[in-house]
Amino acid sequence: MLGDIINPYHLQIVSFILINIILGISIYITLSSGQLSLGNAGFMGIGAYTSALLTINFDLPIFLGIILGAVVAGVFGILIGIPALRLSGVYLAIATLGFGEVIRVIFVNWDSITQGSIGLSGIPHLGRELFKTFKLTGFDPDMLGLKNNQFIYLLVVLILLLVNILLVWFFIRQNKSRVGRAFAAIKMDEKAAESMGINITYYKVLSFTQGAILAGFAGALYAHVMAYISPADFAYHRAIDILIFSIFGGSELIWGAIFGATFMTILPEALRFISDYRYMIYGVILIAMMAFRPQGIIDVSLLKWFKRKLKLKRRGSLGIGTKKYN
Amino acid sequence: MVLELKNITKNFGGISALTDVSFQINEGEIFGLIGPNGAGKTTLFNVITNMFSPTSGEISFLGEKISGLKPHKITDKGICRTFQNIRLFSQMSVLENVLVGGHCRSKSGVIKSVLRTKSQRKEETNSHDVALELLELVGLSKFQDSIAENLAYGQQRRLEIARALASNPKLLLLDEPAAGMNETETESLFDLIKKVQKRGVTVLLIEHDMPFVMKLCDRITVLNFGKKLAEGTPAEIQNNQEVIEAYLGAEEDDEIA
Repeated sequence: MLGDIINPYHLQIVSFILINIILGISIYITLSSGQLSLGNAGFMGIGAYTSALLTINFDLPIFLGIILGAVVAGVFGILIGIPALRLSGVYLAIATLGFGEVIRVIFVNWDSITQGSIGLSGIPHLGRELFKTFKLTGFDPDMLGLKNNQFIYLLVVLILLLVNILLVWFFIRQNKSRVGRAFAAIKMDEKAAESMGINITYYKVLSFTQGAILAGFAGALYAHVMAYISPADFAYHRAIDILIFSIFGGSELIWGAIFGATFMTILPEALRFISDYRYMIYGVILIAMMAFRPQGIIDVSLLKWFKRKLKLKRRGSLGIGTKKYN
Repeated sequence: MVLELKNITKNFGGISALTDVSFQINEGEIFGLIGPNGAGKTTLFNVITNMFSPTSGEISFLGEKISGLKPHKITDKGICRTFQNIRLFSQMSVLENVLVGGHCRSKSGVIKSVLRTKSQRKEETNSHDVALELLELVGLSKFQDSIAENLAYGQQRRLEIARALASNPKLLLLDEPAAGMNETETESLFDLIKKVQKRGVTVLLIEHDMPFVMKLCDRITVLNFGKKLAEGTPAEIQNNQEVIEAYLGAEEDDEIA
């Protein structure tokens, strides 16, 4: 029975994974034009607080709150992205890290609105709100053999999964187009890209802003999945976590960010049984990784190898050739 | 007249890299720019493409003032260049490099690219066709899927030319295209540049290989210490006393005697 397999704890972890994947993609997309931003925790916080405050204080529907959270983060992305054009490499990393801290300190000190370091509680929960709508239509989770709680968490996971699939689809298509090629060209050689007629100002701000929108979007989802947020959720350790998703998984490909976010979210949970040592193991894995595979687990050649295998298999079983340009 | 430089001066701090350089390039010409090392030839390229803006002077392209425009706008107008120290997108495939060159000749933005609208697909097919045709021209068709940095040196130089041609330029700037090439490679480069000229592209090139320049160019300008020393046909330049002195050094009077 479905009800026996589904464990709310596991579902909760899956929803964290799915939110972290969005965060991983958010840094992948800024990295894809060669910009190392550590401000994504700040953008995440902006998205989370915007949506939480709007839904709590103005009874805005959750989905509208989430979209506005992403939009506001995007506006900040443009505002930060334009002056950030003057910086690159570690200088950009430090400047954006500073931005994230400024945002966090604003959340801490703007007591009247953000309730300071106590944080915001009572944020409408994505699953529960949806569940209410379902109930109005006369639906009862019992019909699926599920308890209310199980059904709520399942709903959240399904929505996040759908969002993830859409985002991956979006960015894979973008990556394979003229826009993606412009990002890659800027990453590899900015001067040459400019000489080839690419408006680097536009594309760098575009990729930075896309990253900010995604981080804000993930933050808003986080707020409505947790139902509670505080400034500590968006401190610089979050910025580093997000960076690790992409660096560990491989920053050349979107699959790297997806793999990294999944692995790095499961790891601390899977190692729970050795509680005291788990972050030590986490650290050792990172060090080993940087020493033996600095480009990240998933890189272009691994993907090519994988595709070749798949192609051979398909050819073998069906006897069809593959098209060249897709 | 394709390109006109009027009294171009470029100073870096107290050092004058270019002083009062003027010349004109006619349509369909292969125009050579020569001079000893440090004469300011590459600086002049950077000034034309506005990677550096000139301290004073004016540049017009097809009768339109272009000094002050951003580099990508200048490419859009129809001037594209190659680099002395090859600057390919080294981890991209050969084909992708040429596709990037066609960037300013296509328009699809994020939305169209993601939705793969009809116009976007048409544009992509078109860019692919142009890129494949250019790879054919430079003789790199069979390497289209190779990674650019794995190509041999001479092939990388040819790929840079194909990438620049993808922007459909009216004026192509080549910065030492024959550098580091052996004789056979230089010969096929010669044929390639002639073919480019036949396509109606005007060429301005910097080159140190004198036999190559003399054979290829219609007219030549000589720079020395940032100043224009001479201008003329290859035959005129070869017999110009000042040019010979700049390259070989002046002989002292008493030695002649």
